[in-house]
Amino acid sequence: MPIYEGIGTITDKLVVVMDIGAAYTKLGFSGEFAPRCIIKSEVLCKESGIMRNIRDYKDKEDLYDLLVDFVHVLYFKYALLSPKDRPVVVVESLLCPTIFRETLAKVLFCHYKVPVLLVVPSHLVCLATLAIDTALVLDIGFSEAIAIPVCHGVPVIHAWQALPLASQAVHDNLRTALATHNTGVTLSDWNLEDVKVRCCFVTPQKRSIEFQKSTPNLTPCPEVKYPLQGSNSIIIPGKVRETMFELFFEEDNDHQCLSTMILDAILKVNVDLRLQLAENIFLVGGTVMTPGFKARLKEELYQQLNNERYSKLKIKTFKFHSPPCKDNYTAWLGGAIYGCTELLSMKGLSRETYLKENRLPDWANMKDNLRTL
Amino acid sequence: MSYIILPDVVHYACTCGILKPISKLYFCRHCLELRCGFCVCHEADSHYCDKCAENLPSSEARLKKNRCGNCFDCPSCHQQLSTRAATVGPKNPDDPKAAPRKVFYLLCLLCRWSSRDVGIPDQAAVSGGWPERENIYAHRLQEIQDMYKAIVLSDKQQKLDKDKKKQRRYMSFTDRTGITASMLRKRIGWPDVPNPLLKAKPTELNNKAIAKEEVEEFPEDLLTSPVNLSLATTMEQRLVQPEWQPTTIDKLFPIHKHLSVKRSQRCRSCEHNVSKPEYNPNSIKFKIQLFAYYHIPEVRIITVEPLRAGKVSELLLKFSNPTQHQTSITLFPYKVDDVIACEDNRTEVISQSSEEKGSGSQPSSITHTSLTRQPSITIKPRPIKTRVVADVVVPNASFVLPPRDDAAEYDDSGDAHNIQNDPKIVVWRKSNKAVIKLQVTPNSDLNIGDEVTTAFTIQHIYINTITTVENKEPQKCEHKVKVFLTLGNLVGGS
Ligand SMILES: [Zn+2]
Ligand SMILES: [Zn+2]
Ligand SMILES: [Zn+2]
Ligand SMILES: [Zn+2]
Repeated sequence: MPIYEGIGTITDKLVVVMDIGAAYTKLGFSGEFAPRCIIKSEVLCKESGIMRNIRDYKDKEDLYDLLVDFVHVLYFKYALLSPKDRPVVVVESLLCPTIFRETLAKVLFCHYKVPVLLVVPSHLVCLATLAIDTALVLDIGFSEAIAIPVCHGVPVIHAWQALPLASQAVHDNLRTALATHNTGVTLSDWNLEDVKVRCCFVTPQKRSIEFQKSTPNLTPCPEVKYPLQGSNSIIIPGKVRETMFELFFEEDNDHQCLSTMILDAILKVNVDLRLQLAENIFLVGGTVMTPGFKARLKEELYQQLNNERYSKLKIKTFKFHSPPCKDNYTAWLGGAIYGCTELLSMKGLSRETYLKENRLPDWANMKDNLRTL
Repeated sequence: MSYIILPDVVHYACTCGILKPISKLYFCRHCLELRCGFCVCHEADSHYCDKCAENLPSSEARLKKNRCGNCFDCPSCHQQLSTRAATVGPKNPDDPKAAPRKVFYLLCLLCRWSSRDVGIPDQAAVSGGWPERENIYAHRLQEIQDMYKAIVLSDKQQKLDKDKKKQRRYMSFTDRTGITASMLRKRIGWPDVPNPLLKAKPTELNNKAIAKEEVEEFPEDLLTSPVNLSLATTMEQRLVQPEWQPTTIDKLFPIHKHLSVKRSQRCRSCEHNVSKPEYNPNSIKFKIQLFAYYHIPEVRIITVEPLRAGKVSELLLKFSNPTQHQTSITLFPYKVDDVIACEDNRTEVISQSSEEKGSGSQPSSITHTSLTRQPSITIKPRPIKTRVVADVVVPNASFVLPPRDDAAEYDDSGDAHNIQNDPKIVVWRKSNKAVIKLQVTPNSDLNIGDEVTTAFTIQHIYINTITTVENKEPQKCEHKVKVFLTLGNLVGGS
């Protein structure tokens, strides 16, 4: 760890940057190149003694209490500073529910007396890590995959595409598959994620096609004996290891999957920008780190071009960006870059203003706008 | 603080409306109100390493990214690593006089991970000088960061100039779609968080990342080589090093131990500390400790007769006075608060400026708070949701509790205080403690097995020894607190 890095920045204002994801929360400081910690977005419920994910809230008040506890942990276990005098940058998904963002703002301003808050949309700020302003951003997180084109620094919201094709779907898939191969074994969420991360990968397209045949003419990859508590263990067959991510590429009833999301998003953008977007595809989120994922998505994209509905795109090549960081904290890093600029003082919402108006600026109504467009 | 009479069946209602056992409450002597961990303001006081107990000034802690320079955690199991010594042959084996050298390496005593496993060279000094890893993108990211800073700064400057001269509006860059970015933003209701790149000078844009047709190739060996799970890292092992997120165990590196922080707690309404630890990490003492346990009479349940729906049961409670002053306790029946409707969220947060507070009754505290000129926020207490399902008949008379006297604990000579007891209320008394008999009646609509909770309000005389400019003498105040008792489950029969 470069422990003495950034000595020159000690006089700068320390700005807390947080990206509270559905599964993992990234926390750190502006001007730094990686988050200080990536932790599960969950808190210990004092009454029941179990860990509760902060997205599993019952109502507004419950969410408020969960966030109070969670932000307390963020500040006093990880950031180790008083929230009172530090500006905060929150990186947030475009599809973040209004109740969540408003409650988070209330917790930060009212409970923790944060002086300034700047909320930045993840799809926009992650481009800062590349220093570009036009790209098609596909964010595959825990609960959903969201594709949004960003053109000249403006997210083209009416072109957004979202499908529940993300970690959670893979976990469910894996749970079912392992239950059929190992009867009577129930795996915890932790085990499922661990199996996914350590054993599973995205297989190339030609093998995937072969697997779909009734008698596949291929040898699956070696099976894995996965140990559980004590001397118990389960077998993870080679086919399961290879095919758990297939649901990303199988078209649903509406003929939608990850590759069509990208192309549909491009289709909804002005003709002049389409080629530029196809040549600036930016994949972010933890799931895109799966071995073989990017190679497979590329294959699938080219495959879709043969499809009639995309022939008018006249796309010849797809080009992909690779960020100067790990894919699961790209959005956080973008927030950290924004956080060290003067944007915070220019566009940040101060506590005084918030208390006077008692609400966040109106762009919370983004969803209403979506419907009218 | 874990408390000697778990399970916690006696709860006090904090001013904020949350019920907590007395051991988890503070008592602000300036506002004369109960406070709890939820409604005080926590502050980070001092940073320390909990392994070597080194105290770091906050600027140094910040410089070291909240990590101890000397202690390491195991990257494999996250326990602490120990430094181990080994003897190796002298540098020059041909020289018979050369003494053998001592070298040091890091070893985890729990999982046996060692710095030698990943090829970190042994060090000649105990304290190490262990190699640090660099972020390989640091240079590129620094460039980008400086560029964004510069662009936004010049944009801000331009805006300032524009405002000064009140000239015509600044020509915004028109994007190739034919409408300006701000128009588009307005149309889609997007926030005005501009992309700094839009205002960049063309020279600054050489920094743009170039997209490539190639992506990470599919690792073909996955298909043939068997998986050795013990070589693949778990998610925890990856995420504990966010910058590197090693996928195989040969890339695990020792982790500098994360620091801990001592916290102080401040009352939200008067900004006085209710708890402040001593600076020294080795000390477990406090400079300020306004725990409710030292100021509020404590209630414990001695016995309760079996509870039956609609039937009277006898309840014995022990009250003790933790203060140095005699107090008198009066019980009142519990009544649900005048239902401060909290439906309207807008009224939940009441903002006051500190000037308004100046007219309040606490002039002494204002002199302190005036240093911080932020408007203070009072969050309205939430309504207590606990259902009270049993009535208590409270005595009309009050009873006296003598001051706490630590020496009396060892003195069996009996009651020295000559207090006239009302035998109907007080059944037993010793030094600062008294046992009170009450009558409790669970509601008749309860079912067998239901938990029975009852409540009443205690009023006690509190001697406030804090002297202010106006009040040189200790002041007598009456303080009220609601107490909730979980008495157990309803039984059947008669
Ligand atoms: Zn409280
Ligand atoms: Zn240490
Ligand atoms: Zn270990
Ligand atoms: Zn106070």
